[in-house]
Amino acid sequence: MPFDAMSDRDDEDLLALYATGDAAAARVLTQRLAGPVYAHAVRMLCGDRSEAEDVTQDALLRLWRAAPSWRKGEAKVSTWLYRVTANLCIDRLRKRKDGPALDAIPEPEDGTPSVNARMQTKARNDALQDALMQLPDRQRQAVVLRHIEGLGNQEIAQIMDIGPRAVESLTARGKKALQDLLAGRRDELGFEDEDAT
Amino acid sequence: MNWGLKMKTPPDTSLTAQPSAEFDAELDDLFAAAKQTPAMPDQGFLARLEADALAQMPAPAVRVRQSLWQQISEVIGGWKGIGGLATACAAGLWLGISPPSGIETLIIEAMGGETLNVDPLSSFDFAMMEG
Repeated sequence: MPFDAMSDRDDEDLLALYATGDAAAARVLTQRLAGPVYAHAVRMLCGDRSEAEDVTQDALLRLWRAAPSWRKGEAKVSTWLYRVTANLCIDRLRKRKDGPALDAIPEPEDGTPSVNARMQTKARNDALQDALMQLPDRQRQAVVLRHIEGLGNQEIAQIMDIGPRAVESLTARGKKALQDLLAGRRDELGFEDEDAT
Repeated sequence: MNWGLKMKTPPDTSLTAQPSAEFDAELDDLFAAAKQTPAMPDQGFLARLEADALAQMPAPAVRVRQSLWQQISEVIGGWKGIGGLATACAAGLWLGISPPSGIETLIIEAMGGETLNVDPLSSFDFAMMEG
């Protein structure tokens, strides 16, 4: 099947094609899934891109190996993959003795034209990442999935293997903790200026 | 009694116990900024991931196009079926060319003991039969 025609197929269909040896399906799935998995791993691993690459590679390898025995309709491919990714990240975080220095967090890529705006975006991203890394792993995972990846509570519940109410509780507590952590940096992040104008 | 120790006053959390709507909006701005600038895998890494995917991919099922003869052979039942069919054809042909002597008598008896010879090329035979 041509590459373009595959863009409309859902992940499950493509995974079924992959299991029959369809190389085009392998390429489309890689292009489609690698980005979100990698971005999620970077968020969970305090911006460590090298480790995030290892996690992404490992998570996708597990998906390819699961493809021949994949049972259609049981779980969304993306949900399964987020779950595997998060578990791999949490395993790595538990093995870490010390997290990387916050200066090691690479500059986010963005296309804002103004230097000031770019610096402020970087400052805000760094501050958020810094605060996120101070949350307990499960709270961080829930907040990232809900507020940055934009997933619904039901899907997060499946990813984290908890009930939707527990997701709500984790995200609410995580958000509250972030507000506490960032409260002293409002001026630095440009929010006081915005209030004044 | 506190044995002369100064009791530490717990921090006043009343201001932060409930997130203000304004602060909530600011946090949403931070989330939105983070959402707009996701970390992207570079092309070299994507190429490695693609290579992994192709290396792990099961081999495609090979479909061999069959010739007409192979398809017929499969329908009949392979070489055994073809052998049986050929034997039956040969036996039928042999019985037609050179029937065993007893068979003709059996057929005549089964038809009522009379023989009727009809030569479709001879109108004389018809006339004789009708008298």
